[in-house]
This record gives sequence, C-alpha cells and structure tokens, in this order.
Amino acid sequence: MNWKNVLLLISADVKSYRLVSGERFRRFRDNRFVTYALYVGACVFGVAIGWVVGNFYSGMGDPQLRELLLQVTINFFLSLPTLALLYGLVITQIGQIQRIGVKASIQPLYWFPITWKEHTLASILANILGLPLAITIFISSGIAVASLFVGVVPLAILTIFALLVSVLLASATTEASRVLQVKLSGAMTKVAGRMVIWVKFLGSLVIFIVFYAVYFSLYRQAASLDLLELIAGGQRMLWFIPYMWHGIALSYFVSGLGFETAILSLASIGFLYAIFLAAVRLNSRFGLYEAPAIRLSLGEYTPRTGVLEKLGFSPLEVAVMRKDFKALTRRSELMSVFMFPIMLAIMPFITVFRGSTDFNSFLFVWLALMPGAFMVMNLGNFMVGLEGASVWYIYSSPITARSLVKAKYSFTVLFSLAVTLVCSIIGSLLAAPSMGIAAIVLTEALFLIFSLGMVSLSFGIRGADFSEFPRPRMIRPKWAIVNMIVCTLLTLAIVSPVVLYLLKLFIKTVQAPLYAMVPISGVIASVVAYAFYRIVLKNAEEFLIRAEG
Amino acid sequence: MSHEPTVKIVNITKRYSDIVALKGLSLDVRRGEIFGFLGPNASGKSTTLKTILGLVKPDFGYVNVLGINVEDNPVEVKRRVGYVPESPRIYEFLTGLEFLDLTGDIYGMNPAEKKKRIEEYLEALELEGREGDMISSYSQGMKQKIVIISALMHRPELLLLDEPISSLDPRSARIIKDLLRELASDGVTTIICTHVLEIAQALCDRIAIMYEGGLLALGTMEELRERAKMPESDLEDIFLQLTGTGDIRPVIEALLK
Ligand SMILES: Nc1ncnc2c1ncn2[C@@H]1O[C@H](COP(=O)(O)OP(=O)(O)O)[C@@H](O)[C@H]1O
Ligand SMILES: [Mg+2]
Repeated sequence: MNWKNVLLLISADVKSYRLVSGERFRRFRDNRFVTYALYVGACVFGVAIGWVVGNFYSGMGDPQLRELLLQVTINFFLSLPTLALLYGLVITQIGQIQRIGVKASIQPLYWFPITWKEHTLASILANILGLPLAITIFISSGIAVASLFVGVVPLAILTIFALLVSVLLASATTEASRVLQVKLSGAMTKVAGRMVIWVKFLGSLVIFIVFYAVYFSLYRQAASLDLLELIAGGQRMLWFIPYMWHGIALSYFVSGLGFETAILSLASIGFLYAIFLAAVRLNSRFGLYEAPAIRLSLGEYTPRTGVLEKLGFSPLEVAVMRKDFKALTRRSELMSVFMFPIMLAIMPFITVFRGSTDFNSFLFVWLALMPGAFMVMNLGNFMVGLEGASVWYIYSSPITARSLVKAKYSFTVLFSLAVTLVCSIIGSLLAAPSMGIAAIVLTEALFLIFSLGMVSLSFGIRGADFSEFPRPRMIRPKWAIVNMIVCTLLTLAIVSPVVLYLLKLFIKTVQAPLYAMVPISGVIASVVAYAFYRIVLKNAEEFLIRAEG
Repeated sequence: MSHEPTVKIVNITKRYSDIVALKGLSLDVRRGEIFGFLGPNASGKSTTLKTILGLVKPDFGYVNVLGINVEDNPVEVKRRVGYVPESPRIYEFLTGLEFLDLTGDIYGMNPAEKKKRIEEYLEALELEGREGDMISSYSQGMKQKIVIISALMHRPELLLLDEPISSLDPRSARIIKDLLRELASDGVTTIICTHVLEIAQALCDRIAIMYEGGLLALGTMEELRERAKMPESDLEDIFLQLTGTGDIRPVIEALLK
C-alpha cells in the first residue's frame, strides 16, 4: 500500500468544505485555520467541558458523592464505544444515501493509478471527516481532560482508542455496504423497476428504525444512569457480535482483567481489518465506475393531460410539477427530504410498542401535525435547490416568477397535504380521537401547511444552493436554520389561539371560545401566508434575474 | 522495440442488462499511432475506452495494454495511460492548480518537473490567471482543458481521449492536435473518440467506425474510401454510407414538416 496516495486523496477530500458556503471563489486561497476550524472548535469545546466536569469532581467534598460520580464516569466511558458506533453508522449512512445512485462519485479515483486498497482506505477515512470526526474529537478531548482530574487516565486512553475503532468500524461497514447497495439495486432493477430507489430507501430506513428501536428500548430503563449501566453491562452479553468487542475490552479493563482486555482489543482490530479487506474485495469486484442505468419504462410516449391542467395550472407549471415529482421519487439523494418526516411519523409507534403509552389523542395530534409540518418545511426549503446543476434549465426556460412560485408552492402544499392525510388517517384509526378534536387539529394542520409552505419556499429560494458535489446541498445551512427558527415562531403564533382554548379546559378563568379561536388562528395564518407570498415573489424575481446562480 | 501492439483488444463483449454495449470487438492499435473511433451515439466508443483502462470489465474477452493484461494489473496500466473522459467529474472544490498538483503527485512526478509542466501547459492553453480559481467556477471548456492537462502532464505512453476537443476553442483545439502529432512521432499512442469528422480525417492514422457495439470498418482513409466504394468522398459521406444513415433526406423532410 502506498500511504502517500492515501494521504494525497484524503487531503484533497478535506477541502470539500469549501463548497459548503456555496460561494464561488476567484483566486481561491486556502485559509488553513478554516480547514481545521471544526476540529479545533470541537477540541476546545471538549477540553472546556472536561475541565468543568473535572473541577466539579475535584471540588466535591462528600466522598460518597465522589464515589458515585466516579461510577457514573466509568459507566459513561464504557458506553461510549457503542454510542460512537451508532452515530458513526448513522452519519456515514446518511452521507451514503445522499451520494448513492447519483453519479456524484468523483471519477479521478477510478482512473488514477491507485490500488483498490488505497482507494478504499482513503474513502473510509474521508467518510469520517467532518461531523463524525468532530464529535469524536469533542468526546475524546473531553474525557482526556476530565480523566486527569478523576484519575482514570489509562481508562481514558483505552476509551479513546475504542472510540476510534468504533468510528472506523462504522465507516468501513458503510463503505462495504455501499457496494452491496449499488450491486443489489442493479440486480433488482429488472425485478423492481421503478421501485428500486424505494427499496434502497427502505433498506436505509431499516437502519434508522433499528437504531430507534434500540435507543428507545434502552431508554425505557428510565433514568439516564440506568441507560448507561445497561449499555455498559449489556455489552458483555453480546460477546458474539464482533462490533462489541472493543467495548467489551473496555469493560474487562475496568474489571482489572488485563489478559482479556488485550485479547479483545486485538480481536477488534483484527475484525476492523477483516471488514476493511471485505470492503476492498467488494470494491474491486463490484465497485463501478458508473452506476448502472435504471430503465424505467419501455414503450410509447403519450403526452398526458391531467387534473392539474383542469385546476388552472398552465402546461408549463404542470410540467415543472411533474418533473419535481419524478425528481423526488427517483433521485435517491433527495430521499433525505423524507427522512425526518418519516422518522417523526414512526417515533410515536415505537413509544407505543415499548408500552409506555396507549394510542391516545396525543398520538393523533402528533401524527396529524408533525410529519406534514416538517414535510412542508423541508420541501419548501429544497424545492428550488433540488434543481441542482440542472438549474440552467429553469433559467433558460420562459418561466415567470409567478409561475415558478405557483408550481413550487402548489407542489409543496399538495405533497405535504398528502402526507398529512395519510398520517392522520392512520392516526385516527389507531387513536380514535373525538370528532371535535379531529376537526380542530386538521384545520390547524391546513393552516400550518399553507402558511409554512410560503415561508419555507421564500427562504428556499433565497438560500438555494445548487452545488452537487460531493452531494446535493439544496439550501445553504444558514438559511435552513433561519427558516427553522422563523417557522417555529410562526407555528407557535398560529396555534396559540387554539392552545389557549385547550387551556380553558383546565383553567376555567381563561376566556377563549372555540368559534373565535380557530378563525383567529386562521387569520394569523393568512396574514403570514400573504406577507410571505410578497416576499417569495420578490425572491423569485431576483432569482430568475441573477441567473449565474 | 517489440512488435507487440500497444493495445490489443480481443473479442470483448459487454452487456448492461438488456443493452449490448459491445459485441465481440477485436482490434489492435500500434505504437505511435493516432487511432480514431467514430460512430453514432451509443455505438460503444466510450465503453471501449473504459474497457481499455479497466474501468469497465468485459463479460467476455480481454484487453492487453502495453503488454499487460488490464484485468491482471490495472494499476500499472493506469500509471502509464492518460485518460480524458467524456464528461469528467473531478474535484469541483479544488482549484485547477491544486488538481494538477494532485495529479502530478499521484503519478509520482518529481516536483521540479511537475511545476515546469503545469506552468507550460497552463500557458499554452491560456489558463494562466485562472489556475487559482475553484474548478466549480470554470466553464465546460476550461474543465476540459484541466483534465486534458492532467492526462498529458505525466507523459503517458498511451492517451485515451473521449471527445476531447468538442468544447475547446479553435486555438486550443489546434494546439492539442499539433501536440498529439508531435507526441505520436515520439512514439506516444493516442486513441481518440470523436464526432467531429474533420478532426478524425485530418488527425487519425487509422479510423474504426463502430456501429451497435461492433466494428463496421477499420482502416486508413484510403482503405475506408475503397471499402465504401466512394473514392472521391470525404469521411462524412463514407460515415453515413457505412452506418446506413446515408439516405437522410426523408428524415430531414419529416423534421421540417
Ligand atoms: N453504466 C451504464 N449502464 C447502462 N448502460 C450503459 C452504461 N454505460 C453505457 N451504457 C450503454 O452502452 C451503450 C454504449 O454506450 P457508449 O459506449 O457510451 O456509447 P458512445 O459510442 O456514444 O460513447 C449505450 O447504449 C449506453 O446506453
Ligand atoms: Mg461516448
């Protein structure tokens, strides 16, 4: 293996942060500090927290309390490898979903004279750059500093080692699964046709569900102390899972079993190497220069006219909406749009299955409001950015700002309404809310979707980011955050009259008759929608003019 | 010097599910030759180039490059080959200079030589002044130039160029053409895919006309003329004749209706 090549490739990859801002740089000069700011920040933050905790521990007078805190600390250390494995997997898998399917892979890797080992290693290491590495640095520096005060330095060192193994294991696993996913979807193309992307998507979703199931079932142990103890103690029972070995090694170390610690540590490194070799093999067998084409339909082309035209949309607007629908259901890297709403929809079920609550009205309210509201926020944000590199097509087509807004807004609203409809039907079947509650909640859901759609779309246009490498960005982070804050505040404003009405049920003195409260809520929503309609139009006009993106 | 051909393609077949991209293609490319692939869209030209470099693995058959079986030792082949893909996707977030620097390092060039070559090429292709900008801000032609430089700078023995000239300005196109000629006389072999028939006609020693994944005709201009029984014609007519698209008048009339 030529380590120089690996380093070269990674050092190229590090620079991908430059596209984050979505700016185009002339005469670009690297600011070394910016490259590493994330990691430096994580380190400083970690040291600060470690220092605070350490001082807190040292300053504690009561020896019994100290003993307890020591116990908590050790258990916390023990639980870290498992947690690192989970966040490593989740983050790298999300990155994978966004990349897979698109030809967003960077090609020179394939034609440079590098071996598959170098290629795979660089890819595994590059995948942990960014968030996974920052989190790991944060935790590592925190526990390193805290351990100085608490006096568990050897344990801390071993924990940091285990953390690294965890993150590498996660990334290597993702790398190996990437090839399998590509290959599998190629094989499934024939069978599943246009369902392929959904199958891939569901496959990735399973990982999240497993994650949540594990997380919630652990969480059931109530207090966080119990949770940590459970993970720490539970690991040993799971000795047959190689992914647990380094974590178990850590717990043997705490128990003072040096020999077992060494064996398991070595075994975990061996396992990591085995996964790496597997990923190399898979890459060299199936790692494709280009993803196989997905054939969607064979047959005659017949132009369609549908309901939308009859509803007063122009053919151009309908064409844009159809294209967007296809983009969302076929471009797998856009699947992340659905990720959050779907997770929100699934979460209450997990709480129910673990038996802590029943299907009740709260479940219905959640299902009727949350997935739809998040869908409308996400979609509104991404609707324009998802044009990606093909945005020239919008710029060059004879589309007016009004038409653009109309098509994008209607699509956002219709899609979110569909999500709300499905979720609330399921919710009402399971939770059987009273007619009154159902009517109020659904009305509020409508208000939210119509108004937040405008809000999100206006920020989505303002902050649109069309860069697609290394993955589609769709919106600049700054504007996504602004949108989230504004939407949260406006949501509170819109639902506040109804919340007031609900409060009346408990506090008799509050004067808030229902027939007044729902319309007030509607008025607020309309005002918001109208105000942002003006803004979105203005943004769309500017957007169509500043055509260089 | 050995008489081994630089590229020896033996009976390669490649299918993508139900699309047959290559149907038992066999041919040799000699050392120091400029070899052109011509053919309608989707006739398998790009797939052939990718197979030569080992980016695509044929279902049947094999390719020898510089005496090496590509499947056995793809890395050694890549080290000695320069490749310009059809629509390259390179590191958009690097500057042009950084990408060339990376390329030089990957191909193990020594720093002084690397610097000299990069400066020469940037100047020749009129990119100086823009080498410090991020590639994401380059025009299509500029990206193409960067990739061409990265293919040429490490002085490969074989060049695989997939539609390299289509998006270049006339001056740069001319420079590349002249350069390829010079390199050929130094023994560098070039395989080039192109739609631009004049380029093929003017530049290539031998031309292969591909059609639906197979070889329709192969030879020098003279031989192709003979083959098509059109002694006076230029490549365009021969091409249309051989690919059975010669009778285009009805098509044009239908389009104009
Ligand atoms: N990755 C791929 N997946 C599916 N089909 C492909 C792939 N690459 C090429 N093909 C098909 O193979 C055929 C030949 O393609 P190509 O070699 O690119 O043609 P061209 O002569 O235009 O360069 C085309 O029909 C193309 O659709
Ligand atoms: Mg081609």
